[in-house]
Amino acid sequence: MKTVIQRLTEAFGPSGFETEVTDLIKTMVKDHVDEIRTDVMGNLIAIKRGQENGKTIMFAAHTDEIGVIVTHIDDQGFLRFSNVGGVGISTLVGNRVRFASGAIGVIYQEKGDWKELNLDKLYIDLGADNKEEAQKLVSVGEFGIFHREFTDLGNRLIAKSMDDRVGCAVLVEALKKLEKPLNTLYFVFTTQEEVGLRGARTSAYGLEPDLGIALDVTLTGDMPEARRMEVSLGKGAAIKVKDSSLLVHPKVKELLIDLAEKNSIPYQMEVLDAGGTDAGAIHLTKAGIPSGAISIPTRYVHSPSEMVDVRDVQACVDLVVALAGTDLGGVV
Amino acid sequence: MDVKQFFRTLSEASGISGYEQEVAEPIKEACLWADEIRTDKLGNVIMLKKGQGAKGRPKIMLAAHMDEIGLIITKIEKDGFLRFSTVGGFDQRVLLGQEVIVHGKAQLTGIIGAKPPHVQTQGEQNQAVKLEDLFIDVGYDTVGQVQELVRIGDLATIKREVVDLQGSLMAGKAFDDRAGVAAIFECFKVLTELKHEADVYGVATVQEEVGLRGAVTSTYGIVPDLGIAIDVGFGDQPGLPESDTIKLSQGPGVAIGPHVHPKVYERMVETAKEWNINYSVDPSPSPGGTDAYAIQVTRAGVATILLSIPLRYMHTPIETLDYEDVKRTGKLMALFIAGLDNEFVEGLTCF
Repeated sequence: MKTVIQRLTEAFGPSGFETEVTDLIKTMVKDHVDEIRTDVMGNLIAIKRGQENGKTIMFAAHTDEIGVIVTHIDDQGFLRFSNVGGVGISTLVGNRVRFASGAIGVIYQEKGDWKELNLDKLYIDLGADNKEEAQKLVSVGEFGIFHREFTDLGNRLIAKSMDDRVGCAVLVEALKKLEKPLNTLYFVFTTQEEVGLRGARTSAYGLEPDLGIALDVTLTGDMPEARRMEVSLGKGAAIKVKDSSLLVHPKVKELLIDLAEKNSIPYQMEVLDAGGTDAGAIHLTKAGIPSGAISIPTRYVHSPSEMVDVRDVQACVDLVVALAGTDLGGVV
Repeated sequence: MDVKQFFRTLSEASGISGYEQEVAEPIKEACLWADEIRTDKLGNVIMLKKGQGAKGRPKIMLAAHMDEIGLIITKIEKDGFLRFSTVGGFDQRVLLGQEVIVHGKAQLTGIIGAKPPHVQTQGEQNQAVKLEDLFIDVGYDTVGQVQELVRIGDLATIKREVVDLQGSLMAGKAFDDRAGVAAIFECFKVLTELKHEADVYGVATVQEEVGLRGAVTSTYGIVPDLGIAIDVGFGDQPGLPESDTIKLSQGPGVAIGPHVHPKVYERMVETAKEWNINYSVDPSPSPGGTDAYAIQVTRAGVATILLSIPLRYMHTPIETLDYEDVKRTGKLMALFIAGLDNEFVEGLTCF
């Protein structure tokens, strides 16, 4: 599993440009599914057929990651940029970005007060001598991502884009374990979540499942002087109650708790004040789809060093597998 | 049936966004005028009163949300106190000193405690307590006792009975927007005495307070020709300019703005004048805050209007209204619906 997480987190896939990631996932899962295709938004849809009396479940994990977009190249060859998704300013200075071409640059700031830092005061230095040199490496409108390698600390792992490649990894691992599930499963590796749950919106419309489940990261509150949040690394899969995009259907929430209890899967409850997931888009599709979310507790979300605990990731895999084989009668 | 009495029951029932079942049940039981009642996948209660028109009759959707704002438990402290956050936009200044019901494995009565004024610093005395510093005390003093009954993510509602003020004014919690649900009932009641061509779908929507979510999906399912959202509007009170409020006891506010179809507005106002029903014009320049907007932009678009029942002290446990305004709103809708025919509804598509 660690190798899967490493390969996925080191891939390039800012919102709208996720093909490298979806291609990689395709190679990982194609032998374990009955059907695999991409849709017009780039979502990768892998289908595992269930039995006749089963229902349909859409599992969604997003393939895109936050990043930057080049807006201007000055005469000296420095780049100005804007954000793609929710990039934290404080995580940028001194960090490196990588573009599709492979070009790497460092972000730094103009002179001024740290407290007044904003995107306008930051630039990317590609090491180019002038505008012409820089233009050979990148052009205005190009997307970049954080440049950072995966690190294995034992139980804990650090990488960029754990949000939400670790969710993708959960689905990849679950797919490998599933033989003949009761329910028909749509594993959707969605695009453009970071810019407004866009891939999930269209894929859910196309698939119209009976139940929607997002696999995504959630915040934790177990760091020094952290904001209050009763989710910790190493305490299991987080079963979402709410975030700003979704109030989990009470029956779905209870089902996930029951499954975790019955299968001795460690879990914790998640109440997230700010932030959303693909399930927010799925549950409002057409005339409504009962939805929930299984979250991977993650420290330092939206920084280049997102940290997860591999035991929590395993708990999420186990919960997905358990749900895939559960009779959903009376729930959806 | 006494709809006013039913409205009291609705107000006192618990039904935070996403958890509306306890309100949905009495609504389904009490709606004797409907020909069909169903609950959709997100929990919207859809009550259909069929029209007398020929097949292909117009479909009118009435939407009022049954969810209320509330509290959600975020942490159980070692000494048994509960920390919480809000679901929907609660006025946190009024939370101090409230009685609450914590909906755990059992229903626990609790209170939201406060630091005594004697030991507050001067800075604290001049400021409302922040949400993160508030806590619920259910009377247990260890984390273990509480954990047996309460889990992170469980909900809490304000415990509040409806009180009658002078005249026909009433105060209580969750009038926003159970008053709208009561207006739908009043409308159905009047409609039984009238002939109407159109099929009328009364919808008690879910999850309005967190983003009009129930209206999004129920409208998609119903595919109405015309949508009427009934919600509460800011009533007149000290401290608010007259221009931003609608007067209590003067009938509903009839909204005019980008989320209102001009022909529907015109017909609504004509109906009010014809039948001598009081109303206020409610200028509503920016859509977004009510189910009307969600209805309007569904599928290929729906002709929509918003009626607002005047209400004081919104999003507090002492929301105040004049029940006569609820009745007037119901009556106005019923007479409006009775006057509709296919020709008018088809005309709406030519803006």
